[in-house]
Amino acid sequence: MASTSRPNPLEEDDDAEEEVQHFDDFTLASSWERFISDIEATCRQWLADGPKNLVEKGAVAVEDSKNLFKVKYDLKNVAKSYCMEFYFQIDNNGSQQAGIGNWNSNSHDLQLCFGVKDFLLIAPQSASGVLLDSPESSKLLSSVAIALSNCASLWPAFVPVHDPSRKAYIGIQNMGTVFTRRFEADRINSQVPVKLMHLEGLYELFVSKFVYSGVDFSMHNFKVHFMMRLTYQTFPYEEDEENDMDELMGDKTDTAEHYGSESRNKLHWDDDCPWSEWYSAEDPLRGFELVVTCADKTVENTLEMAELENASPHEAEKWILHPILSPYLGDPSHGNRIDFSSQLLCVVEALDMSFTAQFMEDFVSGENPGSENLKTSVVIPPPTVLDRVIKDLFHEGSKLPDFTKGEHRLSRALKAAPLESLFTQFCLHSLWFGNCNIRAIASLWIEFVREVRWCWEESQPLPKMPVDGSIDLSTCLIYQKLHLLAICIEKKREMNEEFLDCIGSEDSSDASVSVEEHQKVDKRRNTSSEADLQRKRDSSIAEDTSNRLRFERKTESTNSVNQSPTHAIRRGSAGPAGTMMLLKSHQRLHAPFTQDPPLMTEDMHEERLQAVEAFGDSLNVPGQLEKDILLSDMSAFKAANPDAVFEDFIRWHSPGDWDSSEPEAAEPSGGSITEGSKDKWPPRGRLSQRMSDQGNLWRKSWNDAPALPADDQKPLLDPNREGEKILHYLETVRPHQLLEQMVCTAFRGSADTLNQTNFGDMKQMTSKLEQLYLITKSTLGALQRNNLPDRAETIKDLRRLCVVFEHVEKLVTVAASLHRKFLDASRLAQVIFSDFYGIYVPLMGINSNDEENKSRTEMEVGRQEVTPRERQVVSNLFSPPSANQSWRKVLSMGNLLNGHEPILREIIFSTGDDVNNGIHYAAAADVAATSDRRREEIETHRMYVSGTSNDLRVALSVTSCD
Amino acid sequence: MGSSSGQPEFDYLFKVLLIGDSGVGKSSLLLSFTSNTFDDLSPTIGVDFKVKYLTIGEKKLKLAIWDTAGQERFRTLTSSYYRGAQGIIMVYDVTRRDTFTNLSDIWAKEIDLYSTNQDCIKMLVGNKVDKESERAVTKKEGIDFAREYGCLFLECSAKTRVNVEQCFEELVHKILETPSLTAEGSSGGKKNIFKQNPAQTSSASSSYCCSS
Ligand SMILES: Nc1nc2c(ncn2[C@@H]2O[C@H](COP(=O)(O)OP(=O)(O)OP(=O)(O)O)[C@@H](O)[C@H]2O)c(=O)[nH]1
Ligand SMILES: [Mg+2]
Repeated sequence: MASTSRPNPLEEDDDAEEEVQHFDDFTLASSWERFISDIEATCRQWLADGPKNLVEKGAVAVEDSKNLFKVKYDLKNVAKSYCMEFYFQIDNNGSQQAGIGNWNSNSHDLQLCFGVKDFLLIAPQSASGVLLDSPESSKLLSSVAIALSNCASLWPAFVPVHDPSRKAYIGIQNMGTVFTRRFEADRINSQVPVKLMHLEGLYELFVSKFVYSGVDFSMHNFKVHFMMRLTYQTFPYEEDEENDMDELMGDKTDTAEHYGSESRNKLHWDDDCPWSEWYSAEDPLRGFELVVTCADKTVENTLEMAELENASPHEAEKWILHPILSPYLGDPSHGNRIDFSSQLLCVVEALDMSFTAQFMEDFVSGENPGSENLKTSVVIPPPTVLDRVIKDLFHEGSKLPDFTKGEHRLSRALKAAPLESLFTQFCLHSLWFGNCNIRAIASLWIEFVREVRWCWEESQPLPKMPVDGSIDLSTCLIYQKLHLLAICIEKKREMNEEFLDCIGSEDSSDASVSVEEHQKVDKRRNTSSEADLQRKRDSSIAEDTSNRLRFERKTESTNSVNQSPTHAIRRGSAGPAGTMMLLKSHQRLHAPFTQDPPLMTEDMHEERLQAVEAFGDSLNVPGQLEKDILLSDMSAFKAANPDAVFEDFIRWHSPGDWDSSEPEAAEPSGGSITEGSKDKWPPRGRLSQRMSDQGNLWRKSWNDAPALPADDQKPLLDPNREGEKILHYLETVRPHQLLEQMVCTAFRGSADTLNQTNFGDMKQMTSKLEQLYLITKSTLGALQRNNLPDRAETIKDLRRLCVVFEHVEKLVTVAASLHRKFLDASRLAQVIFSDFYGIYVPLMGINSNDEENKSRTEMEVGRQEVTPRERQVVSNLFSPPSANQSWRKVLSMGNLLNGHEPILREIIFSTGDDVNNGIHYAAAADVAATSDRRREEIETHRMYVSGTSNDLRVALSVTSCD
Repeated sequence: MGSSSGQPEFDYLFKVLLIGDSGVGKSSLLLSFTSNTFDDLSPTIGVDFKVKYLTIGEKKLKLAIWDTAGQERFRTLTSSYYRGAQGIIMVYDVTRRDTFTNLSDIWAKEIDLYSTNQDCIKMLVGNKVDKESERAVTKKEGIDFAREYGCLFLECSAKTRVNVEQCFEELVHKILETPSLTAEGSSGGKKNIFKQNPAQTSSASSSYCCSS
């Protein structure tokens, strides 16, 4: 029994001491006894409770550990208070010894040092680190040992010795048999002897613990189990002072001349990430720690140890990677970090300010009373910067960009503009213009509009804008206006060209059906006659590419010239419409070129709706615009078919309203008219009931319509007038209307930019981006309405949106950084990201909702095991050190990884002995060497070594037979 | 007259749009509904507009009904009429098959393209059922189409006024059952996603899908 195996050398010493004290002072003696029985009682209680109950009773989990708990008890003897803690593990698997399986990084320091599982720790209670000298420690330890053996407990117990920073301990454990284990740990934290920096030296140190002194190690073999864990760390990225200076000077030094040269030379990790056009992000992955474990080896001599020191970490059994995150990830306050979300917040603040003035000019002139409180923090960048931005917007590359670039499935749900368009680029530039305050924005806007007007006046194409297509009403109004303006400019240019063409040759054009006439018409984009061939006027064709139209028209026009045996002169004909013949004159029915229906921006639609709404209900007044179009069509038709009657127009324009007895003709969408129709001329048929009614509006219009080819008509859309109206809008736009559109467009532009980030296949990221678009959509929904119902509330919502954006932006940066680092090991990128995501996302909710709760959080992601195939990728993370870096290190330990020395080396030596043999120390090694019966073997010696070249900790456990 | 000042003479203002091929009877249907008459009307040029007041339950409704031209020439302009409509009625002529096939070829696509309102209620109406002998589209086909496109469905006749009232009323009922639409119609209903459910702001996306 354990309790009977009392005496051991240490305790005997103490007992002797106590006995002496007994004789001298009874009170003191009884105090010791009370102290011991106090310990005993507590331990009995803990023993009786067992781990489960202790946890229920409120044992606390030890930090960083899932299954290690501790309970605490305060002790007192006369002089001092102590604190006794019992550490216990809740799982019951695994042995108490640390093998490769349970050499996990979150073991408690003492577990690691001594290879134990549950243990007692008794230390002085003072926080100020009252020192325990050796005698006091021994006395304390023996008290505990007595108490533990009294209650038949097998727990190891430890007490600290010396200065806490030395992490020195002594300990003892009753093994329940005849054996007792003793523990001892100490540390050298400077001037580690060279011998102990190397594996051979450490091996010899261990062997010396069980071999009689004086034996020559090199002559004998001592079989020793050996395990090693090496920790590597990538070099911290060098803080570059030069770079910091650049950043500080910012725009001031950034004159037009050296923009794009010097300051941009620097290589950043994110140089090819989509956001790098605007800012450079700090790498969210500060570095990596790699823990390499060499499993159980049996070593027999110093030579083998030397070889092991030369071994490459690639030969090790296990690689565990631990990414180190940049602390900014857990920091909810932006500080001086600059990214999209920080700038979006600025533009939101600018929106808030924008309500104080009538015009953008007011913010620049400073006459606006509201601008006074602005002045302090507000910077307007110097003209050089302004010029640079304008140049970038208007003069860089005339090629039409890809307007779908960066577009997310949900981008169009935001009332904004395509990423590469002029207005989005303006908004994104504004974000970084000065500090994106309202005055800086105003000065940039004024210059922007001035430049747009220049394009208009000079008929120069608007850059970054399409010059065709229809107006997309889902975009913001300014984009629609700029689009229409670009089209107007294009029309103006065409008209100018035409004018120049005409000056030379044509002065009596309306009398001839010349080829020139047709070509002239070609230039105006009119309805194709392909539609007419089908007796259908599919308007979508009008939007077809102009090239194709031009080609078709050319061929048709020559046709019509060749076969024009007309009596009257046709004008503006696009060629015969199939085989249709005019009812009265039995001539070919020609389709005319017609005017395009005018393009309209949403405010024009709105005006039209209001007009219809105002008059529509009382009288049957249809849309004026459509009426104009109908009239224009009739005029053009009359010009192209001088002998036509109303019925002919209806047959061509609204075939459904021509009831024909011939089946072919009655089918409005049907095929061509057969030649047979010629035989029975004129074809039988009549206008539909509704078309032939008295007072039919169509017939009235027909009677009023003059014969005029489309080209000579008053244009449905007057580019000069519309263009001028658009510029007027841009020049007088209300600041808050501008800012509302800018906020929306800046959000979309930023999101679309992030959306281009290449982060491989990370599902969470994909869905997070989608969520961002949805949240953005619902928050921005309040803007660009007729009025903001609750401005303060909306601004608050927008600020919150910026926080959401910030989170997603951080996640994207992490995903991108991981993706590019683990291009060939995407599994690792994904598991690390998942892990990070799991920690980060719950925090997002807290920070975005509760503004007070802005506490910084330490971000730690888990350790990931690296599979053999991934090792090369991981090893590449440890780029060979530069001369500069290796100079800083004294390479004194082996096992280099790409020239990186481990920052920490931990070793466990152990040797065993056969229980049955009951052999004393000296013979242990020999016996262990011959014995294969491991089950009966007990660990006689164990040594844990942990350290670097200038810091060494050694912990020793020795089991002995008493 | 649509008073723009928004006086509380009605609880809700809904915008309803009539679309479909030329000659299917959209204008006739509207006339039949608003003034109980059936006349031969000129083909619509562009758009026509009528207002009808309805009382459903306790609620006073103002319906602004937009009747568009089926003529293709005007189609590029019709995009503006789709904006902000809470209900869209697609009309075809049960005696003309092409007017039915054009629904999927043209009109359903137009809705996808131009309707700004995701929740907007769609309704399919087969007109001219009085001409039963000339029927070219069966009721079953209409039902199948409606199911596929998620529409309400009715067959009616502008001439005999069969089902005309029901057609509009059913549509309005459905709009009233859709909170996002009634919120729009009643003006001033402001939603705040952050206030509504703070816990879900960042973690759950589903809650935003349906808010517009
Ligand atoms: N028999 C019958 N005829 C109808 C009915 N509804 C409309 N019509 C006729 O169909 C023709 C077209 O009707 P409209 O109302 O003008 O058609 P619409 O759809 O408005 O045509 P657009 O304005 O061109 O788009 C007219 O001659 C109507 O008299 C109906 O229910 N039964
Ligand atoms: Mg009509």
